[in-house]
Amino acid sequence: MLANALWYRVLFTPGSVFKELASRNQSDPAFIPLALFLLLLPPLCAGIGSLAFGWRLGTPDPLWLSTSQTVLICVLYALLLCFGFFSTVLLARWMGGTYGAEAGMTDYVGLFVVVCAPLAMASVAHLYPQVFLNIMVLLGAAIWSMLLLYRGLPVVLRIPGERGMLMASAIVGWLLVAMVSLLGLSAGLWTAGLGPTVSV
Amino acid sequence: MSVDTRAYHDKVVLRLIQFSVLWAVVAMTAGVWIAAELVWPTLDFGQFWLSFGRLRPLHTNGVIFGFGVSALMATAFYSVQRTSHVPLFMPKLAWLCCYAWQLVVLLGGLSLLAGWTSTKEYAELEWPFDIAITVLWVCFAIVFFGTIATRKIRPIYISNWFYGALIIVIAMLHIVNNLAVPVTIDKSYSLYAGAQDAIVQWWYGHNAVGFLLTGGFLGMLYYFLPKHAGQPIWSYRLSVVAFWAFTYSYIWAGPHHLHYNAIPEWVQSLGMVMSLVLLAPSWATMVNGIMTVSKSWPKLKSDPALKFIVLALAFYGLATFEGPMMAIRSVNVISHFTDWTIGHVHSGALGWNAMITYGTFYYLVPRLVGRDLHSTALANTHFVLALAGTLLYILAMWAAGVSQGLLWLSVDSLGQPSFSFRDIMVGMKPYYAMRLVAGLLFLSGTLLMTWNLWCTIRGASVVKQRVKPVATEWQITPATGGSAV
Repeated sequence: MLANALWYRVLFTPGSVFKELASRNQSDPAFIPLALFLLLLPPLCAGIGSLAFGWRLGTPDPLWLSTSQTVLICVLYALLLCFGFFSTVLLARWMGGTYGAEAGMTDYVGLFVVVCAPLAMASVAHLYPQVFLNIMVLLGAAIWSMLLLYRGLPVVLRIPGERGMLMASAIVGWLLVAMVSLLGLSAGLWTAGLGPTVSV
Repeated sequence: MSVDTRAYHDKVVLRLIQFSVLWAVVAMTAGVWIAAELVWPTLDFGQFWLSFGRLRPLHTNGVIFGFGVSALMATAFYSVQRTSHVPLFMPKLAWLCCYAWQLVVLLGGLSLLAGWTSTKEYAELEWPFDIAITVLWVCFAIVFFGTIATRKIRPIYISNWFYGALIIVIAMLHIVNNLAVPVTIDKSYSLYAGAQDAIVQWWYGHNAVGFLLTGGFLGMLYYFLPKHAGQPIWSYRLSVVAFWAFTYSYIWAGPHHLHYNAIPEWVQSLGMVMSLVLLAPSWATMVNGIMTVSKSWPKLKSDPALKFIVLALAFYGLATFEGPMMAIRSVNVISHFTDWTIGHVHSGALGWNAMITYGTFYYLVPRLVGRDLHSTALANTHFVLALAGTLLYILAMWAAGVSQGLLWLSVDSLGQPSFSFRDIMVGMKPYYAMRLVAGLLFLSGTLLMTWNLWCTIRGASVVKQRVKPVATEWQITPATGGSAV
């Protein structure tokens, strides 16, 4: 029974999900609630970790944030993750035309749910917001996610492997830019007064 | 159509590639060493010449002037002959450029280790070297523009515009920024002082990045990417528009290095706005490159050279997005003086400059000597090491930089700094260790390439390639306006 649950297959047998997505026209509607769960998990863990332990950036004392600031940052984090996920789905669908993909919207949603799952689950590390620990955990998860993207994309979109590699690389490029944007946006918001008190 | 029996001058190209690879190994080893010193500071063994302050300029100058310029000279000499349909103009002068440049890099590097420095970042070499560089740069210009002036085809291909801009603008920047009063053989004082000195220095510094590390390497991209992909540039018109937009907007962006410093605020704002404008031509080139290669996807499976070039394009896109973003004043206040900047520089230097050069060398060397690459498997391993090293480097520096920026601007309720500088830097040790691992990965990939290219070249001589004829409708004749430059 457990082995048939979508979340279990997404996390532990992603290959079977890719094949299933490739073999039928209609994807499992449970992908959307699963996507929302995966998108809400990181801000939730980050919020709890931040309030319990403070931001541990390498100094002996942590950086503490007020409860209201923490909640605000977590809400923004959740919104940005949702925007990032769905914009990536739309972008990939748009790119798919260039690479000759034959897939519907639900296939793209399914693909990215599987790809994002390791990263989202690794965000449990946010419960203890020590940056280096989080970097190491998320690095491992990111490698796993990239592997899933490169393996799964040509299967789900039914395109040759080399073409899939090119498209997956373009998506990785987009995700790197998105990550840099998140850094820049965070820095801009800190300067504007959101988050820790900084003297500018 | 008359048949040209002359051959291209390719021996000088191969020799420059060999020097470029040599400097890559030397300069990157210096980089790894100073990365190790930041983890274990006693690695200088009490020797001045092994100190971070002396090895760091050796690393940057070695990479930029040794590895980078040698690669740019090699590829410019190779491509300008083929796009002009004539052999090099004054080939002996090209040989002089080749060897004398290496001598300047070698002696310049030793002078940096000895403590000679003008203290200007990326322009540390003292006045005797500045003069030598100027003379050799003029020789480079004569060979390059002489070849274009004697060309047999009417259009000047886009790669030559970028190489040409590299030569002209770097000459201008180098001369203006290095104007100084010599005091002794190893010491001079800049003609500029205070804020003026800072503005001139970062006009130089930023545009050296712009026209050497970006413009020059875009010349490389525009020639070798279509050649390798077997496709014409996706949009030639876009490449020309991107060239002029790039040339116009880059030159204004330098003041973003001086945000919140003692220069007029309007100059800072101008630098910020022009940096943001710069995103457009940068991404136009990236899109042009990606669309050019998108039809050559079957080659990606078997061709490591193309993989490097495609990856270089992705990192070019990343670095040219990150740069304008970091030029925004409210972002810069966090990122400036932190390791975030180091990460940004290396996403460009490793991800863009080194990758595009490696891809080009893997393409070019087998063709120059008329042999297959010694080992495709080794080149593929190099690709994985280079990618892993670059990503790990950037990640480590992002984490370190953002933490630093946040911590040393944090204040308590009395407005006092919440954390001491010492405590913050002690906390950076894990990231510096991570950066060291990243550097070792990247360097080991470069060593694999060195071995691979060495085995490809060993015992072979440069294949003589005859000048290709020009189609009649493209030929320069008196009726079409003569040899216009």
